[in-house]
Amino acid sequence: MRGARISRWLIALPMALLALATIYPLVFTGNAAMKTRRDYILDRFAFTDTLRWDNIATAWTSAGTARYFLNSVIVVAGASALLLLLGSMAGFALSHLRFRGSRALFLGCLAALFVPFQVIMVPLVRTMADTGLVDTYPGLILAYTAQYLPFTIYLMTSYYSAIPTEITDAARIDGNTTYGVYRRIMLPMGRPALLSVGVLNALFCWNDVLIALLMMPSAEHRTLMVGVTSLRGQYSADIPTFASGVLIAAVPVLAVYLFFQRRIADAVTAGSTKG
Amino acid sequence: MPLGDFTPLLARPARAGRADGPATVSRRRPRTGGLSSERLSPFVLIAPAVAVIVLFRLWPLLLGVNFSFTGDGARNGSAVGLDNYAELFADPLFLGALRNVGWLVLLLPIAVAIPGMLATFIYLRVPGHRFYRSVYFFPAVLSPVIVGSIFNLLLSFDGPVNSLLELAGLGPIDWLGDSDVAMFTVVGVHIWATFGMSLVVFLSGFATLDPALLDAARSDGASLPQVIRHVIIPGLSRTIQFVFVTTMIGMLTSMFGLIYVMTSGGPGGSTYLPEYYIWIQQGQMNRPAYASAASTVLFLVMLVVGLAQVSFLRRTGRED
Repeated sequence: MRGARISRWLIALPMALLALATIYPLVFTGNAAMKTRRDYILDRFAFTDTLRWDNIATAWTSAGTARYFLNSVIVVAGASALLLLLGSMAGFALSHLRFRGSRALFLGCLAALFVPFQVIMVPLVRTMADTGLVDTYPGLILAYTAQYLPFTIYLMTSYYSAIPTEITDAARIDGNTTYGVYRRIMLPMGRPALLSVGVLNALFCWNDVLIALLMMPSAEHRTLMVGVTSLRGQYSADIPTFASGVLIAAVPVLAVYLFFQRRIADAVTAGSTKG
Repeated sequence: MPLGDFTPLLARPARAGRADGPATVSRRRPRTGGLSSERLSPFVLIAPAVAVIVLFRLWPLLLGVNFSFTGDGARNGSAVGLDNYAELFADPLFLGALRNVGWLVLLLPIAVAIPGMLATFIYLRVPGHRFYRSVYFFPAVLSPVIVGSIFNLLLSFDGPVNSLLELAGLGPIDWLGDSDVAMFTVVGVHIWATFGMSLVVFLSGFATLDPALLDAARSDGASLPQVIRHVIIPGLSRTIQFVFVTTMIGMLTSMFGLIYVMTSGGPGGSTYLPEYYIWIQQGQMNRPAYASAASTVLFLVMLVVGLAQVSFLRRTGRED
């Protein structure tokens, strides 16, 4: 037993080092953002003794970051909302309503999960261009919705399947139509799953760069992540300002992570243990 | 981003065993007469989702395959047979991208073993396991753009990592500028950014493991390697399979951001992956039909690698 305890501590040490390696890069970036250019060049590692916000302010105002941030917020909010609406409706139909072809639809949805974006991006962008959706908010929102909808439907269907039919039957006896059951039973009862998958979808959309690059060619429609990629060239000699831009893009994610860590992990693993 | 690729591989239709569900439509119809809106309600609920998936995901797949047999530029729209594919397999850049895919497949066991080992330790409750769990997972929620930007800073030739190496008396390494090193640097950063995701999946697999088995093995005096070999690996075979496939998909489809930010495919095209090649060809080179051919090849590669893995892991799983 003693031996086991010692070996546990032996394992814990490299794990602690790895934890450090996991956090430190972001700490380094945050620290660099607080320094003046001169301080950064003189000593990159020393922790800053004062919190200076002017680099952040520069990155926010001068590089178009504020605009990009707003674009990202609009698109992420739109796509997340649409995903929740379509996903919960489809999940309800697939889990509780009997209709011709429901099984085939569910399987088709699973098949769509295995079509990576890279494989369809060329024809998708052409279709979007033909319909005038390229370089518009609705276009990018639709592209994100299409990308993450299969996963959302899968998750909502399996969550709703656990809701016993007695509950929906009772609601029907009380005079609810199918739509009433959806609105009064399924939406409220699905709240935990909707929150998990909503947070996860928002992260996906916020973090994406490839779809945004393709769908939003013009500078004023850039999302924040695309904006960050252009910062590097702009501030190659001014690392603290560059680091500030990176920090602005990372902080919302950090906040969401601290609040919803368990929910994110739940949503990620929901697919892995079933079956 | 990596998160996007955790597709539920082992999914089974959630409706299974629900055959006794409410026969809504037929039950209500006699009472309220025709009520066609009620009768159509399942279709109304599911139609928007189906429309989006078919229009923007399944239809483009067919369109793309079809498109790959046509020409670009002057030969726009005309059928060119297999010309695009012939050109593709004569292009050293594309062949390099496929060779890099080969490297990814070879590195895959490492990318799975690291989170697997860490999850085992966390499951066995090393001191501070709760803390590790949340810290390790954190980079997985960061965008590849952020991760790539940060490591651009850290790994630049005169950057912090090299100055640390210098302190240790080791020569500087040109992490991103040396064509023999750059691909491994990018893959290393990708693993750094995503191992927490697989870790969480492993941990959820551990939650389904019967603790009595572990206790029994321990009281029989089994060592840690023996426990891993005879209890944990057989018990987690489905989870391991899932992590293998999702990690592979992640490597093939979510490294665009890192490559775009860290190397732009360079130096000398050494960090090209098929997805980056597709993007360059369709956008920069304005050759969408040719890019579609590359997309089709990527899809086939993923299909083959995925199926090969599943059948290989099934077989080894059975031997145990």
